[in-house]
Amino acid sequence: MSGFRLPQGGRVDRSHAVNFSFDGMIYQGYAGDTLASALLANGVMLLGRSFKYHRPRGVLGAGSEEPNALVSVTRGPGRFTPNLRATGVEIHDGLTAVSQNRWPSLKTDLGAVNDRLGMFLPAGFYNKTFMWPRSFWDRLYEPAIRRMAGLGEAPTEIDPDHYGATYAHCDLLIVGAGPAGIDAALEASGTSKRVILIDEQDEAGGGALSDPALWPWLEESLKDLAVAPNITVLSRTTAFGYYHDNFIGAVQRLTDHLPHPATGARERLWRIRAGEVILAQGAIERPLVFAGNDVPGVMLASAARIFLQRYGVAVGKQVALMAAHDSGWHDVFALARAGVGVAAIIDVRDSVDAALLVEAEALGLAVKLGHSVIDVHGRLAVGGISIARNDGTAVVRLACDALLMAGGWTPSVHLWSHSKGSLAWRDDLGAYVPGEPNEKVRCVGACSGKWNFGSGLVTDSLPTPRDSARIKAFVDFQNDVTAKDIRLAVREGFKSIEHIKRYTTTGMATDQGKTSNLNGLQIASAALGRPVVDIGLTSFRPPYTPQTFGALAGHAKDALFQPTRQTNIDGWAQENGAVFELVAQWRRARYFPKSGEDMYAAVNRECRAIRSSLGIFDASTLGKIEVVGPDAAEFLNRMYTNPWKALEPGRCRYGLLLKEDGFITDDGVSARLAPDRFHLTTTTGGAARVLNMMEDYLQTEWPDLNVWLTSTTEQYAVIALQGPNARKLLEPLVEGIDLSAEAFPHMAIREGRICGVPTRLFRVSFTGELGFEINVPTAYGRALWERLMADGAAYGITPYGTEAMHVLRAEKGFIIVGQDTDGTVTPYDAGLDWAVGKKKPDFVGRRSLARPDIVAPGRKQLVGLLTDDPTEVLEEGAQIVADPGQSIPMKMIGHVTSSYWSETLGRSVALALVAGGQERMGETLHIPMPGKMLTAKVSTMVFYDPEGARLNV
Amino acid sequence: MSEALTRAEPVTLEAIVREGVTISLAPPMARYSLRARDPGALEVLLGLKLPKKIGTTEGAAACLGPDEWLLRLPLGASIAMGEGLPLAITEVSERAVCLIAEGPRAAEVLMAGCPLDLDRFAVGRATRTIFETVEIILIRSGEHRFEFEVWRSFAPWLQLALTTAAGQLR
Repeated sequence: MSGFRLPQGGRVDRSHAVNFSFDGMIYQGYAGDTLASALLANGVMLLGRSFKYHRPRGVLGAGSEEPNALVSVTRGPGRFTPNLRATGVEIHDGLTAVSQNRWPSLKTDLGAVNDRLGMFLPAGFYNKTFMWPRSFWDRLYEPAIRRMAGLGEAPTEIDPDHYGATYAHCDLLIVGAGPAGIDAALEASGTSKRVILIDEQDEAGGGALSDPALWPWLEESLKDLAVAPNITVLSRTTAFGYYHDNFIGAVQRLTDHLPHPATGARERLWRIRAGEVILAQGAIERPLVFAGNDVPGVMLASAARIFLQRYGVAVGKQVALMAAHDSGWHDVFALARAGVGVAAIIDVRDSVDAALLVEAEALGLAVKLGHSVIDVHGRLAVGGISIARNDGTAVVRLACDALLMAGGWTPSVHLWSHSKGSLAWRDDLGAYVPGEPNEKVRCVGACSGKWNFGSGLVTDSLPTPRDSARIKAFVDFQNDVTAKDIRLAVREGFKSIEHIKRYTTTGMATDQGKTSNLNGLQIASAALGRPVVDIGLTSFRPPYTPQTFGALAGHAKDALFQPTRQTNIDGWAQENGAVFELVAQWRRARYFPKSGEDMYAAVNRECRAIRSSLGIFDASTLGKIEVVGPDAAEFLNRMYTNPWKALEPGRCRYGLLLKEDGFITDDGVSARLAPDRFHLTTTTGGAARVLNMMEDYLQTEWPDLNVWLTSTTEQYAVIALQGPNARKLLEPLVEGIDLSAEAFPHMAIREGRICGVPTRLFRVSFTGELGFEINVPTAYGRALWERLMADGAAYGITPYGTEAMHVLRAEKGFIIVGQDTDGTVTPYDAGLDWAVGKKKPDFVGRRSLARPDIVAPGRKQLVGLLTDDPTEVLEEGAQIVADPGQSIPMKMIGHVTSSYWSETLGRSVALALVAGGQERMGETLHIPMPGKMLTAKVSTMVFYDPEGARLNV
Repeated sequence: MSEALTRAEPVTLEAIVREGVTISLAPPMARYSLRARDPGALEVLLGLKLPKKIGTTEGAAACLGPDEWLLRLPLGASIAMGEGLPLAITEVSERAVCLIAEGPRAAEVLMAGCPLDLDRFAVGRATRTIFETVEIILIRSGEHRFEFEVWRSFAPWLQLALTTAAGQLR
């Protein structure tokens, strides 16, 4: 119990007490406290256990750089957030936080045995030890490592919170509302610029919040900003990533700081496009590297000052300072003036600015120049330190309950680096500063390297008389990387910081090495005997601090995750018990079971109805493209494999579309409405792809053609009527179209009216029966469907879904692109030679059809398969072999692409891609399945009505 | 002939009000996609003036691209289709519906999912853009009134997205 609340001081509201719990204990703090400041005020120094060694850890910093004090906060079921920095968690009544990575308790953690085994857990330990045998990895190594080493637990329940999102545009975005950021904003007030100033803390002010002398200025400035009409100030908002063209991602925390339950979105994602960006992110103090620098109570001197000035909390009763930089002296002077006991100021430098010595003397503080801390006593809290002269002599022990480190300052160049701005090394700072910008951006204040809070000595680690191979002097606190780990990596041959980083994991934790990167770099530099700039530099990547998945997902969850496209007739299908399937973004009725029917019974009934009388099908999702212009026929002639120029208006043609590689990419029936107007159809899933491909050719290859493409998929609801009674149902409903077989043959289109609305009526069939596809303006789809259902009752009209459609087309050997083809099937492979215009000078994919591989014998070709046992329905995807007697692994010569029970034929039918299949007609092939070997004979692909007699009626 | 077929719209006809923003469905209308290299040919054929600057409107026409216009007319209006001319007119009346967001904070609702800078998108502007992942044609028909031309099957999603965003205004 070291920290305590001072009787006065700080910005917390002492009139507003707040009760919260940590690890089950109830504590009291004040409004304005963070979890870290409130726990320190209650004397709690131990906040967590480390990642690898399970070492006791306290608070190192006071802001978002904090690597140690990670906690989990729960706000009820599903509202569990791990790995929050206690220095950024605002307390409120009812806040429930727990520590992490310990069992059974924070004070007694069995995992801490790793600490004693530390000498057996060097850098690269996992890589070296757990590589073999491979089979042990999944079941033993990985689960064990995951259990032992880790941060907080991932929540398993669904997050019930809502998250908002917005775009924003501004002329000037300022990141960081410290003195530099506020000055930049004030400078822009009164201009016409739209300004957004964002800051990650609950209060704007940054460093000014821990400097009471600046409070009057801060108050005045924030008032001015609040009334400036062109300036928006967003607090509790973290700019986490800087992307191309001044696009900045930021997350605003809206409710986590409020007592629960709070209303509204929990967080809001801001996607900001800025004309100019000013980064005022400040700088982060560096820890010093020495044995025991991770004991709870050892912290950054700047953090101790923040806890003092901003929260009115003393981090100890008797503190010591280990300094390599002037700034720590000023921090300790502030503590001393506030009445906190100071054990000593120890500075590794042999001499410092005389003014510091004068002030120390005035305050009665003991000073030890040319000394270093060589050990920290205590395990759960600092009990004292040992110091020595830099030559290793004169070891003495000092009593203290907190040790402050002042190692100098690292400008925060995180977002600058995201934006790909260059960095320049500054020997005097021992740090990188912004160099040349890559976007319209500049850095101001401490992050530009302009403020250094005094001067200091840049050192890789403090001198010690002890064996440096036997001490744990931490560099990366969150990933438990010590100085000796980095030196070991160098000894093992790593020379680049990128490799050293990955081998030791330094800088790879959730804090991305905010406090550790430069110390790691300095140690590697010293060990390699080469300057820092020669060793390279690791890059920062978004996010600056961890963000919730919820914020990134924004609205995109549940019904808003992505649109489920529904046809105009979908509601009828829903009300009539359809089972749906998703096809691209559409949902389509798969079958319509009656009570007691399974899918097979329903599909068999639907198939029987279509073959014997009449079926009705919602084909609205088929892609439709209207191709219009004087060069429309010429364009289609170049796109499709078959000839289009001679197609008469009023007639339809099957179009086969290849990619440049000669492989089938889409197909569909298209109609010529007029000399300069075509109505194309594509597959449901291929609609957007085909339009894109056609636009691509039109715009880049043939910009001279006078033809334009318009997607009309959603302009029409499409109802397919299929079956011998289709014409009888339609005749009384249609006006202006002669439906007779002579006047309106198969593969023709007519325009007229149906039930009073205009229609494009196709006579086409994907079932092999007499069929029509009725296109009407979409809004009338459902009403027409209901009329057809009512009038069709006389013919036992049966709604059917995609499954029956698949069965019936397979009986006719009609392929489905993407099911019977896989991107490696040519028209010849698919038995569609007839659809290739042999006399055409060119079409997309034509040259590829002459490639040696494409004309070589033995290519996989689509054929029919009839099982010897007619009741056996093959598995789609099943592999096919020619000789069942061969030893395993057998030579596979193809696979089943489509397979169904054909109710029409009373047996199974299948399509398959088989090597040299068209030469194997009648051959018996074998399909090995678990526990059995099936046999089937190769056949043509048309199993039903090969003459097409049923179509031409 | 029995009685005429009735229309079925993809979203509710009743307006939804959230935080002062009204989200409603515009009445059905006729829509035509007009394409030509030379807008003059379309102007002569149709007897109207077309906007020449992409993203602007002129009367019932919006210029969406270098050779593309959207023409919105009262339901049932028909126009010459220009057979044989070097241009393309395609009827797309029922391809889309028009959702309207209106209210003092309508722009904020739109900003929830649309990356455009609305301060630079004056009344009378029209453009093809997106709301989150869904393509829309956005028309600013008033300082606080936005029209969203959206393909029918995406309309329920867009209506829910706009309603949700409006509900989160605070």
